[in-house]
Amino acid sequence: MGISIVVTSGKGGVGKTTTTANISTGLAMLGKKVVAIDADTGLRNLDLHLGLENRIVYNLVDVVEGVCRLKQALIKDKRYENLYLLPTAQTRDKTAVKPEQMEKLVNELKEEFDYIVIDCPAGIEHGFENAVAGADMAVVVTTPEVSAVRDADRIIGKLEAKGLDNHQLIINRIKYEMTKKGEMLNIDDMTDILAIKLLGIVPEDEKIVISTNRGEPVITDEGAKAGQAYKNIVRRITGEEVPFIDFEDENTGFFSALKKFFFKK
Amino acid sequence: MDNITIKGNKNGIIAYINSGTFDEVKKELQNKIENAKDFFSGCDMYIVDKSMNIKDEDYIKLKNEFKNIFNINILGYNSDKIIEGNEKIFTGIYEGRTKFYRSTIRSGQNVNYNGNIVIIGDVNSGAEVTASGNIIVLGVLRGIAHAGLNGNKRAIVAAYKLLPSQLRIADLIARSPDSYDEKPKIPEIARIKDGAIIIEPYLPNKHIW
Repeated sequence: MGISIVVTSGKGGVGKTTTTANISTGLAMLGKKVVAIDADTGLRNLDLHLGLENRIVYNLVDVVEGVCRLKQALIKDKRYENLYLLPTAQTRDKTAVKPEQMEKLVNELKEEFDYIVIDCPAGIEHGFENAVAGADMAVVVTTPEVSAVRDADRIIGKLEAKGLDNHQLIINRIKYEMTKKGEMLNIDDMTDILAIKLLGIVPEDEKIVISTNRGEPVITDEGAKAGQAYKNIVRRITGEEVPFIDFEDENTGFFSALKKFFFKK
Repeated sequence: MDNITIKGNKNGIIAYINSGTFDEVKKELQNKIENAKDFFSGCDMYIVDKSMNIKDEDYIKLKNEFKNIFNINILGYNSDKIIEGNEKIFTGIYEGRTKFYRSTIRSGQNVNYNGNIVIIGDVNSGAEVTASGNIIVLGVLRGIAHAGLNGNKRAIVAAYKLLPSQLRIADLIARSPDSYDEKPKIPEIARIKDGAIIIEPYLPNKHIW
């Protein structure tokens, strides 16, 4: 029996789809059988993040409406053979699916897969209700902005009202230089307000943009800081205890590299 | 027993209909008003129907007739405003009914109680807590708190860290300064003093300023 994880945030543009793509790829890299579900009907993007947009034939709405079987709509990833994508329809809207149908679908997938990662749309309306319907666990993504933190707070309240108490926080796009100077909310501020368990911290990284455009999740990039952070998040999801990386100590640039070189001796 | 009880309050005169059919009620009301025609002339009247067996169109008929015959304005019947105005101010702020919440009140959540509220947790920005008595937060208060909802001016709001976006006590409203220079390090209490909401430490003498 698998575990279903919904990735949600309330506010748009904080990195839900990027997080979904990376978590599902990361879990697949560890050899788990994973399916990523795009619940953002009408504004689907997860297929782009995974680079699978040209392989979509059937989608989630087709499955729900009985046009095709569930197996037919699942798309196998091009890199990892134990990763599948269940895309949604771009030509329909959120009301095409009901929460009960979604719950049934997720439960069906749980029989066969180890992890089901659901990409939730922004907002707290119908789309959100659908995405969380079958979830066992929620990952709340936020960025160090007051508006994103408030929306995350609202979402946590909504999840708790639904009885979904297993929720954890990912702080995305943090810039350490700015938090150090006090120009940005820092991690303590956010965990203090939201008061939920911290799953991971992802630093701002230009490589995210490149990887999204290429359709290759950043977690597959060995050199990327954000990829490393996602790897740790994935290991924490599987139950491993992983210490938080201290990016603050990291010194880049020629002089600091030189300094390191000499001081090491 | 009378079918009708007539009472006055600051909004005007309220006629409570206890029982009887529309014709009986109308006749009795007319008789009562006839006895003190001068007193009732020109006044505002509300009708509260406790038995709930009179139809809306009968009220409209009654309203027109009373305006013509007695010069009485019937402003409403069974409206929430009158029924609410009839409620007494909650006085149990020293000793009285209290509700306890053992969770954080998050953005978009609304907590309301006709009595005192104690929250063991935070009240986050975007959340609203309203109580007819006191509000005590054993945590950080960042949202909106309204104590003494139905008019008790002696109600208080207290929190370990009092950082509300807005504070209301009875009919007074205070908002936070546009920029917090420093966050409070000690527990604080908000109350009304000389017609304004003030914030001070629980025990002013305990701390050196």
